[in-house]
Amino acid sequence: MLPLLYVLFSAVTADPAVWRRLWTTRVPELFLNTLSLSLGVAIINLTLGISLAWILTRYAFIGSRIWDWLLILPLSIPSYVLAYTYTYLLKRGGTLEQIWQTIAGPEAAFFSPFSFAGAVLVLALNTFPFVYLLARSALKNFNVSFEEVARTTGADRVTTFFRVSLPLIRPSLIAGLFLAILYVASDFGAVSLLRFQTFTYAVYQQMTGRFDNTAAACLSLVLVACAFVFLFGERWFRQRSRFYQTTGRYRKPVPQPCRPLTALLFTGYLVLVFGASFGLPVLLLIQWTVKAASAGEIAPQFIGYVWNSVSLSGITATAAVICGIPLAYLACRRRTWASIFCVQGAYTGYVLPGPVAALAILVLVSQTVPQLYGTILVLLMAYLVHFLPAALQGMESTLQQLTPNLEEAARSLGARPLRTFFQVTLPLVRGGFLSAWILVFVQCMKELPASLLLRPVGFDTLAVRIWLEASEELYQLAAPPALLIVVITIPVVLLLMRKNQT
Amino acid sequence: MFQSTIHHPPSQIVLLFVVVVALALPSWSHADDTLVVYSGRAERLIKPVLDAFQAESGINVQMLTADSTALINRLQMEGARTPADVLVTNDSGTLERARELQLLQPAAVPDLEKTIPGRFRAPDNSWIGLSGRIWVVVYNTTMVSPDDIASILDFAEPKWKGKIAIPSAGSIYLQTGVSVIRALKGDEATTAFLQGLKDNAGSLVYGKNRQIVAAVARGEAAAGLVNHYYIFRHLAKHPDAPLAPLPADQGEQGMGVVLNAAGIGVTAHTKHLAQAQALIRFLISPKGQRMFADVNKEYPLNPQVTAAPELLPLQSIQVARVPLSRLAELRDPTMTVIEKVGLR
Repeated sequence: MLPLLYVLFSAVTADPAVWRRLWTTRVPELFLNTLSLSLGVAIINLTLGISLAWILTRYAFIGSRIWDWLLILPLSIPSYVLAYTYTYLLKRGGTLEQIWQTIAGPEAAFFSPFSFAGAVLVLALNTFPFVYLLARSALKNFNVSFEEVARTTGADRVTTFFRVSLPLIRPSLIAGLFLAILYVASDFGAVSLLRFQTFTYAVYQQMTGRFDNTAAACLSLVLVACAFVFLFGERWFRQRSRFYQTTGRYRKPVPQPCRPLTALLFTGYLVLVFGASFGLPVLLLIQWTVKAASAGEIAPQFIGYVWNSVSLSGITATAAVICGIPLAYLACRRRTWASIFCVQGAYTGYVLPGPVAALAILVLVSQTVPQLYGTILVLLMAYLVHFLPAALQGMESTLQQLTPNLEEAARSLGARPLRTFFQVTLPLVRGGFLSAWILVFVQCMKELPASLLLRPVGFDTLAVRIWLEASEELYQLAAPPALLIVVITIPVVLLLMRKNQT
Repeated sequence: MFQSTIHHPPSQIVLLFVVVVALALPSWSHADDTLVVYSGRAERLIKPVLDAFQAESGINVQMLTADSTALINRLQMEGARTPADVLVTNDSGTLERARELQLLQPAAVPDLEKTIPGRFRAPDNSWIGLSGRIWVVVYNTTMVSPDDIASILDFAEPKWKGKIAIPSAGSIYLQTGVSVIRALKGDEATTAFLQGLKDNAGSLVYGKNRQIVAAVARGEAAAGLVNHYYIFRHLAKHPDAPLAPLPADQGEQGMGVVLNAAGIGVTAHTKHLAQAQALIRFLISPKGQRMFADVNKEYPLNPQVTAAPELLPLQSIQVARVPLSRLAELRDPTMTVIEKVGLR
């Protein structure tokens, strides 16, 4: 919270000339770009998410159970990794264009990855699982009676879907879209490699291309303001649309078996989406890694990068859980104005895109404890500000499920608060805290903008290496660290998924 | 028994934490005799030379690669605590800016004046040019005749629509080029030129010079604007590529090609002055200069060393008359012009 205020302060006190320059040259374009990118991604996400969820919850065919799991794997690919595989696939004379030209004639051109369409495609393929997951769980818990009533009153399948089913799952769709759009607006990795100008990318560019950080702070202010408007808009929207199960006549939807031809069609569609968002990029990474390994191109420092990433992520995750314990405790057990303020303050890290979090820490450190600048602690602080909310959310919900009676019983038996915490509370919430730790660990492994801006000398992380090599289009050199990150992330994504299901 | 099992979790976490910190610490602190280089150049272009220096002198070199401007911001913020001993950038303007901000100190290297000509150094030797590069046209020989291109300003004309590849707005080479054009032609003409250039380039905007050369070689673009050595590096790998360099804007009326120098400066607060000077001595010596010439295909600035044979001799090319040290002051207004036009 404090770092954010610092940035906002320096933006408000900035020279009006800087503001005027930004309003006339940058802000309108950036606003339009960010908005249209979010909308474009949202539309594709809705189409993909709903259709996939519909197919998998309403129809039964060979392999339909496996797809449930496969379709969340795209979440394990960092956006910049997906972006860099697509700069290869979509480049002129690249694989996709060659395929396209055999279909549409030799003159047919595919769109460039460095364009609006390229950015939308990459980010949509990266984020559609958010919408898919929420749509799926909504459709699974759906009361089929509503649809059946509609059908018996003469509505056909399509009308039923659009007039009855879709409006009923709307809250879930909006929640999913909200996540996806927040992800898009705060994404740095993909837009920087595809050079698509959004607010988040512009903040980074102003930080690295100008000799002072005022302009970056101003853009951050605009971005944070937009994020808050968006946050409250989402809250308001969600409160207006709530649906309740009023009668006891709930019937679960039962997947219908379908004809072989339909099944084949569905499978083809699923393969296409999965291939584009996960299969093909990962195959490419594997191929490049093998090539790089056999050509002896994997640098001897590689182990060092792995160690940098792993140790830093481990320490951040540990620190996040330790800092999160009192905050989560306050949020659940002692709800006073002061504690709510503290906890909400910690959550502001959520709406801070990576470059803004980095800028905030940078400004704060340089004005208070400049000795720390250029040390690992600064990077650690930036990670913490950025990822504490993720840990906090998981820990808070775990603590909430635990009834305070148990703690009260311990206290009434004479245990002091600390002893109560370590002997009663902690063992019971261990699982939830562990998954919060893992979540932060994985986020840190993937973190890019703050690492780029704040890393100490000789402290390149895997993500930094991927970005440096990928921005030079050295595909083979970027592949081994990228593959490693994906491999580490997959089990975590599956683990979190399983937890959500039960 | 129950007691002991539930005591475990916190102590395990603490233990893990301590172990992780203990194991990680050594890799964070670098040894005292290590020379730290802040480098704004692509790793491929500077690492071989630094490796050669490390092998010859036995001095350990550690490098932090980032955007040149970001490195200056960093040096400024670190002040006297900076771990950096030298700053290497791909642009003299940035080095001059660092000198103005008192981030550098004059280098006392014997025979420096005799080795590197005065126009490639700061007046007080706070920074020293190491290798020269000119911003030239690269064209596809099957698509364009060199007679079609008299001036790079012509690329704003409608006939180049969809045919010209340009660097992205973040490219320091583009910024330097625009600075020089502004200095010689004024803001209005420069804005008009950039507007036309932007319309003509369309989606042919690339983050790296290497990509522009590759695009021209593949025929995606008929011509492009790049630093000369990227053309020769490409030709060294693909000798049959239909590529040729062209220094435009020659002749009496021409403004000349944009020349810039990549260089080095010793930081004001270095704790390894002797090692830093040893590095500079190596880099300006015939051996170091040879590497810039042969490996990178840049122009060596030490006159004793000749450029790679395939390059046009620098003496035969008319160069724009804007001193390198002026690039610093031109930079910020240039950024505003570029942003106003909306180059990506």
